[in-house]
Amino acid sequence: MNLSEISNGEKAEVIKLEVDDKRLKRHLLDMGLTRGVVVTVKSTAPMGDPMQIMLRDYELCVSKSDLSKVKVKVIK
Amino acid sequence: MKVALVGNQNSGKTTLFNLLTGMNAKIGNWPGVTIEKKEGKIKKTKHKVIDLPGIYSLSPYSTEEEIARKYIFKEEPDVIINIVDASSLERSLYLTTQLLELDTRVIVALNMADILEKKGIVIDIDELKESLGVEVCLISALKETGIDELIKKIDEEKVSKKIKIFDDKIERKITFILENLHVKNSRFIAVNLLEEDPRFKEYQNSKIKDMIKDLEKNYDTDLEEVIATKRYKFIEKVKARSFRKIKVKEGISEKLDKIFLNKWISLPIFIVIMFLVYYLSVGVVGSRTVELVGSFMDYLSNMTRSFLHSINASDILISLIVDGIIAGVSAVIGFVPQLIILFLCICLLETTGYMSRIAFLLDKIFRKIGLSGKSLIPFIVGSGCSVPGIMGTRIIENEDERKMTAILTPFIPCSAKLPIIALFSGYFFKENSGLVSASLYFFAIIVIIISALFLSKFVFLNTSDSFISELPAYKVPSFKYILKDVFDKVVAFIQRAGSIILFCSIIIWFLLSFSLDLKYGIDIKDSILAAIGKSIAWIFYPILGEVNWGASVSAIQGLVAKEQVVSSMSVIAGFSDKVSEGSKIFGGASIFSTFTASSAYAFMVFNLFSAPCFGALGAMRRELGSLKSLFKAMAFQTGFAWLLASLVYQVGSRIEAGIINVSDIIIVLLLVLILLFIISKRGKKKDCSSCPYCKSCEEKLHESI
Repeated sequence: MNLSEISNGEKAEVIKLEVDDKRLKRHLLDMGLTRGVVVTVKSTAPMGDPMQIMLRDYELCVSKSDLSKVKVKVIK
Repeated sequence: MKVALVGNQNSGKTTLFNLLTGMNAKIGNWPGVTIEKKEGKIKKTKHKVIDLPGIYSLSPYSTEEEIARKYIFKEEPDVIINIVDASSLERSLYLTTQLLELDTRVIVALNMADILEKKGIVIDIDELKESLGVEVCLISALKETGIDELIKKIDEEKVSKKIKIFDDKIERKITFILENLHVKNSRFIAVNLLEEDPRFKEYQNSKIKDMIKDLEKNYDTDLEEVIATKRYKFIEKVKARSFRKIKVKEGISEKLDKIFLNKWISLPIFIVIMFLVYYLSVGVVGSRTVELVGSFMDYLSNMTRSFLHSINASDILISLIVDGIIAGVSAVIGFVPQLIILFLCICLLETTGYMSRIAFLLDKIFRKIGLSGKSLIPFIVGSGCSVPGIMGTRIIENEDERKMTAILTPFIPCSAKLPIIALFSGYFFKENSGLVSASLYFFAIIVIIISALFLSKFVFLNTSDSFISELPAYKVPSFKYILKDVFDKVVAFIQRAGSIILFCSIIIWFLLSFSLDLKYGIDIKDSILAAIGKSIAWIFYPILGEVNWGASVSAIQGLVAKEQVVSSMSVIAGFSDKVSEGSKIFGGASIFSTFTASSAYAFMVFNLFSAPCFGALGAMRRELGSLKSLFKAMAFQTGFAWLLASLVYQVGSRIEAGIINVSDIIIVLLLVLILLFIISKRGKKKDCSSCPYCKSCEEKLHESI
């Protein structure tokens, strides 16, 4: 599953980053989206993109196209 | 000693900087480094302190991070103060783990001690010191606590101990690389070699490359990811030992976001807030205060005139002082109250954290025209002044989106263009002046949309769909900081009035008062300025519908400073009073009396959208990277402005004469819309955000260093 498919309020654990663009990958890693981190999806912008997620005690906005490259599994 | 201030965006860095320097910072250009960096002296000491841009990492990919890296490597500061936001410890310590690899002494300043208690957080400082191997200081930049202790720590020459944060496999390789690497900051370079950082190519060799391949097999991903993951693993351990959250409750920020980011009401709230900002500054409140200052300037001008008469000063001197200097400068000074309100509003939007939310809300719209939601921040800041707006484009990661935003930011009417808008719409559209001013902002938005569509489809093809931005917690801004920020900007504006505008006013007065054979007391039509104006006035013929040398020379002076356009017109009109009212400039005997409503609007359009002032052009040059691209951008802006202004006049004057009616215009607009729609469907090239990994980007990067 991709992080962009997780609905608001749900939690997910990052399994893998499938990003070809090295710069984008490093940026996501630098912001804390590493394997094993648990992310909560908080909300989606009024026009459906980007999404607001919470990880490592802070809030981050990421576009759906970026999040679709992050493979996750949902945590119940 | 040289002290560098390093930390994440929104970590309170600037507030700490102001505290350390006792608010005596000077802002200036750093030679060789393309950034407006702040430098000051720490109060009561001889230490120099430098405020570096807010960054999250020292990766080789972003401009700001590169600036910080370059500073640390080239300028070699003695101490790095790493300001860490205690409420988002994990993310903030990530940068710290990179800084700890440098040979420079690091002091961690744990900021926001004041909100820890509110959030129910307890941090064990001693434990943190032990885990990181450096000095840790608990401070609150907002409440101003812990600052003296922090300053004391700078003098304690304690050597920080090097800690190992990776697992044995990687640490062994680092040790191996270090055996053959005898340079400063060797551990930092060694780690970056494992990450295959292209900036340290000179130290790279086949042995290290083999090691990387070997390790990557082990971890089933590239080493860059492994290293980032291990850093966070280390931080998680540190946090587990030193950080405790006692109670968990919904913070005030989350409650506010439920309103400000609500699916249904967030956009209406945004519109109301932006309306308020411009209603307060440009609208009623602003213009009332302008009138007040205007009448004071009148009084001053009359007083000076009679005083100079009473001491028998010569006519030429009185004319120079009253008609030249006071007329020119006061035309600009009159707008200071409006600026104060505008700067105050923008500063509030920035410091409360709402600005980041605007980018989040509107990103999708901006994507459609090839820009990023983050482009809106330079646009809003640019309504105060284009220069910080253009510099603010650095928050946009994608190079093409950044350059486009830098070219488009000057289209937003900045505060220096306000005098032009106020003068023309006030005089020619009397009771509708508010509406006309507002229409120009809408005009600007449409110009930006059309230009962005054009540029993203034909010039800058590598825009992306990426958007990554932190959403900082809402903050009650520091009163002192806002005061200082607004004060600094207003002082800069007044200084410009006292230097460039003053200088230009004297020149204009001279060119106006003397003829080509340097005779004084001539008719204005025989002046040197008129001669210059007449030679270029034909350019403005399609915009003004007449050959008007005065308007032509005034428009050209917009390159020096946009407010100079009004200043110049007021000097040319030869009156020193009630400039903002317009009656004297456009009155019967003035050469500007031939202006009509449509030529006035067209003239405004030209001045608003043509190439910006030299200050903004300088900032654009820095962001665009070369003089050649700057000239292209200037030609685009000025050409487009000329075309639009001509169009406005040609259509407007025909409406005035009753030749064209409204239905014709609607048909033409429909045709234009269809054309735009076709353009917007044009395909995009493949995504490349100029990483240093492919050949062409690498060359580009080498040029820029």
